[in-house]
Amino acid sequence: MALVASSAGTAAAPERSLVTDAAHTPRSRRRGARGAPPTRGLAARRPAAAAAYVGALAFAALAVVNPVQVGVLLALTVAVLALNGRLREALPYARVALAVGLFLALLNPLFSRGGLDVLWESDLGPLTITLTAQGIAFGVVTAARLAAVVLAFALFTVALDPDDQLGLLSAVSFRSGLVLSLASRLFPVLSRDAARIADAQRARGVELDRGTRRDRVRVRIPLLSALLTRSLERAVDVAAAMEARGYGSARRSRWVHRRPWRATDAALVAGAALAASAMLGGLVTGAAAYDFFPLLDDPWPQLADAWWILLLTALVVPAVMVAGGRR
Amino acid sequence: MTSIARFERVTYTYPGAPLPALRDVSLSVEPAEVILVLGGSGSGKSTFLRALNGLVPHFHGGSFAGRVTVDEFDTRTARPHDLARRVGLVFQDPEDQTVMTTVEREIAFGLENLGVESRAITRLVEEALVSLGLSYLRHAPLAELSGGELQKVALAGVIATQPHLLLLDEPTSQLDPVSSEELLSAVRRLSEDTGATIVLAEHRVERCLHLATRVLYMEDGMVTVDAAPQEFAHWAVDGHRELLPPVARLFARRLNGRAKGRGEAAHLPMTVKDARHMLDRSDALTPARRAVAGDGAPGDVVLQASGLTVGYAREAPLLENVTLRLRRGELVALMGENGAGKSTLVRHFNGLLQPQRGSVTLLGRDVAALSVAEAARSCALLGQNPNDYFVRDTVAEEIDHTLAHLGFDQRQRGALAARIVAELDLADFLERDPRALSGGERTRVALAAVACGDPALVILDEPTRGMDPTRKLGLAATLRRWVAAGRCVLVVTHDVEFAARCATRVVVLGDGGVLADGPAHDVLNGSLFFSTQVNRLLRHALPGILHEDEVCWEASPA
Repeated sequence: MALVASSAGTAAAPERSLVTDAAHTPRSRRRGARGAPPTRGLAARRPAAAAAYVGALAFAALAVVNPVQVGVLLALTVAVLALNGRLREALPYARVALAVGLFLALLNPLFSRGGLDVLWESDLGPLTITLTAQGIAFGVVTAARLAAVVLAFALFTVALDPDDQLGLLSAVSFRSGLVLSLASRLFPVLSRDAARIADAQRARGVELDRGTRRDRVRVRIPLLSALLTRSLERAVDVAAAMEARGYGSARRSRWVHRRPWRATDAALVAGAALAASAMLGGLVTGAAAYDFFPLLDDPWPQLADAWWILLLTALVVPAVMVAGGRR
Repeated sequence: MTSIARFERVTYTYPGAPLPALRDVSLSVEPAEVILVLGGSGSGKSTFLRALNGLVPHFHGGSFAGRVTVDEFDTRTARPHDLARRVGLVFQDPEDQTVMTTVEREIAFGLENLGVESRAITRLVEEALVSLGLSYLRHAPLAELSGGELQKVALAGVIATQPHLLLLDEPTSQLDPVSSEELLSAVRRLSEDTGATIVLAEHRVERCLHLATRVLYMEDGMVTVDAAPQEFAHWAVDGHRELLPPVARLFARRLNGRAKGRGEAAHLPMTVKDARHMLDRSDALTPARRAVAGDGAPGDVVLQASGLTVGYAREAPLLENVTLRLRRGELVALMGENGAGKSTLVRHFNGLLQPQRGSVTLLGRDVAALSVAEAARSCALLGQNPNDYFVRDTVAEEIDHTLAHLGFDQRQRGALAARIVAELDLADFLERDPRALSGGERTRVALAAVACGDPALVILDEPTRGMDPTRKLGLAATLRRWVAAGRCVLVVTHDVEFAARCATRVVVLGDGGVLADGPAHDVLNGSLFFSTQVNRLLRHALPGILHEDEVCWEASPA
């Protein structure tokens, strides 16, 4: 994927433009096998099977509340990302999860007053803050659950081909899927446009990277009009091209991709079904319940519960099979 | 024979436009024709094509009079998607016409839109991939393709739907010559193998005039010439020679003073092969060298690049140990294959990029110690897309924007603005929005915006891309004037004919370094690819000849 960034220079260090692009590789060096289909990981599997697995993982991360189990699921999600070689691409999602999680972790203890182990208390007029061990634990676990869910969705986004995602979404809403595909397609193009526009201004003597933050914002505002114009032109051109290619015809068919069903696809679907069933079983029977207040339940006994062992097995085995390149 | 498409007195005006883009166009398109549509920027070529698939008027709106029919469909009632099975359109910019993220699925997109059943899509996608030699890219992400590959994918997506009529709107305007050649070869194969009807709007006549069975020339929305290629060539000889391929221009000189339009002697070649046959059968006239004014001696050094290693990954530099010296009075063409590092290299000359190793000095100052804005006073860089430069509402404001940021006072700004406006003939556009101008006009405005501060070095990156032949001649003349006035001009270009016409020196990059560096006549003479049509034709008889202005016809020795 083309990546473009035009870095901000400083008064001391002249600005640099960092542009990497496939187009910058000579034709002669670009020859050879390109675009080989993925042979391992979730990207190589049937999109529906991969989506089912990721869905089960997200559901489990959302439903489990036991701190140790939440930790295990978070670690499992990170491990699946790593096994798919997508850890680096998931970093932006991880940052968002961390920021929101930190906010939740810090805010929760201030308003969770049910705990009995008071660590600190403050009387600020009308506002009384009571910090308890249980409140802190609840905040941290809530943040970890959120992180696990976000990373599960990140797994879906970065490990599955956008066209596969479009194919899946097409069954529900083709237009939404198309928007996703177009965004994937055009975002790098617009990033390149933005970098070029900024460089064009620098080359006209505009100091984009000097002065106060306010100065920098002020000199960059005109760039937005150029970027907006370019974006609109692209949008109009893409819309015209789509219409010329028959988009909007009354009946649209769907090309069913030829990727065959394999044992790993079956394992992913079976794992997802088993994990979801186990989780539902745990919720319905109350076996998955865990109380933070007034005192923390002991988290360890639940690790030996049948629903948990089944859930974990159903999520780990297919992940290992897929990562190992099993067909 | 039943026509595939027919225009009947079509006049069309875009919404808000003061003048029609098409005026009273009447013609028919016959099966298996290859129609080349020529004309300057804004002459109505794209609108003509868009009227054939219904984008005009359905997508663009505006006022439409007359009638266009394609097969049995009247485009006033049939929308573009109704015509998509019959008419395929490939646009100029490959980035703006692809929707999906991988090659195979991009090709399938149009077929899915048309409701083709899944199994048939598999077959048609496969056939389209094979026919354009794209099988090895079937799973490739579009973001990793070069412009040429992306344009071929766009063509594959269109031909997969098996249209009766294939429209190509300047499909090579964003491509380098090799990619253009590959694309046009694919079009030629398509025409020859399937008998497809093709309407092609193009500026690069030397690459496609020989493919055409018919030529349309458009001016101000009107089709002013509708003729067979030879007939068109003879029309162009009188006052429009820039529209002809160089070898046709060369032989047109032989026609001067002789009866035109009769017999084999009046035939104008479209290709080097054709011209060579004519020379072999030549009559009493043979080509001879014609004296032309030489270039002046170069002056002081403007830019010195020493031992430059550049690239985006330290472990895989694009260019290593490049040393280059540019002087006043030089017009240097920087050439090389796509991705050889030409654009990357010149972005080091004004500090937009910093080298991995080596140094650049601009008028004796180390560029690494300057900000890009500081370097801009001595080095103007015009990128490939003029639209990137427009941030103000009028042309006059654009020029003043640069001068103000370069630190000129009010009096200097007035004088410099007046000078650049005169040099680039922009007086009529000063109060116009630059975004509303035609492609060639936008390039001139963007050039004015970067070069108005009278820099010692002006760098232009692919300035002739998508430019019509008349504008190219104008640009070449401007650049030569600047060089004569003591500036140094560096042009990054794939356009060999343009380089041959205006460059005093040519630098060829390749294999991670400088492959050749010398006077234009030395470097371009005898080269297999970086050579002009006239040179390829006459390199043995008249070594060093690059273009037809250097040739005259003389009586053969008895």
